[in-house]
Amino acid sequence: MTRIRVLFGVAAAAMAVGLWFALTAPPDALQGEYSRIINVHVPSLWLAFLAFGVTALGSIMWLWKKKQRWDRLASASAEVGVLFTGIGLFTGMVWGQAVWGRAWDWGDPRLTSTAVMFFVYLGYIALRNAVDDPVVKARRSAILGVVAVVQVPLVYFSVNLFRTLHQTQSIRPDGSTMPAEMLVAMLVNVAAFTILYVALMAARTDIARIEEANRETELLAGDAVKPPKLSEVGDV
Amino acid sequence: MSDTVIVAGVFVISYGMIIAYSVYLHLRRRRAATRS
Repeated sequence: MTRIRVLFGVAAAAMAVGLWFALTAPPDALQGEYSRIINVHVPSLWLAFLAFGVTALGSIMWLWKKKQRWDRLASASAEVGVLFTGIGLFTGMVWGQAVWGRAWDWGDPRLTSTAVMFFVYLGYIALRNAVDDPVVKARRSAILGVVAVVQVPLVYFSVNLFRTLHQTQSIRPDGSTMPAEMLVAMLVNVAAFTILYVALMAARTDIARIEEANRETELLAGDAVKPPKLSEVGDV
Repeated sequence: MSDTVIVAGVFVISYGMIIAYSVYLHLRRRRAATRS
């Protein structure tokens, strides 16, 4: 618990520094104050990609090693990923309404593929809640976790494959299209959100571990107090 | 509504969601620990 508290303390400090950078970075000449949204939008979707990648890694490791901790890692990361995909979609819609004049466009591959990714991982969480048996739950969600990760490169490269409304990446192999002050602010926030991810993962996997232990205890206790069936009783 | 207010609202809601999820994890962990 102390480790988790320290992690959350570090994450809160990092997020505060990130917020300060986001609010003090110079506004864009055309977009004005709306350009500050990049400091939440990009880090959120970076975290979503990272989280779903970790889910795939945990899923592969579970299928290979069949160790419960890999299932805990995969499921915790999917939950955190869904949260940050939601934040990324929300911030993107407000930003889009301001600079494009519309919050949503189903014809834009980046927007649509991100929404599909969001709902697929919501389905991953629903799948886990629909199955009681821990091994069946881990196997089914691991298969989905491996299959669903193909969406991550599709979402990332959708802006290069189909040029429509959403802009291409601001950071490319040949450099950045952003001014240095705005780029630094965004990268500080990417780092802060990554630290936050570590803290959230530590807490979420710890909860899963405790709940699994509780479930095993309850099952054992349940067997101990279960009344015998009449057919099992000899002379009454 | 001014641009600054809308952008401030985006930050408040986004950070609020993160804080709400962190509080949820804290409460769920406490409940799980109490039952163990």
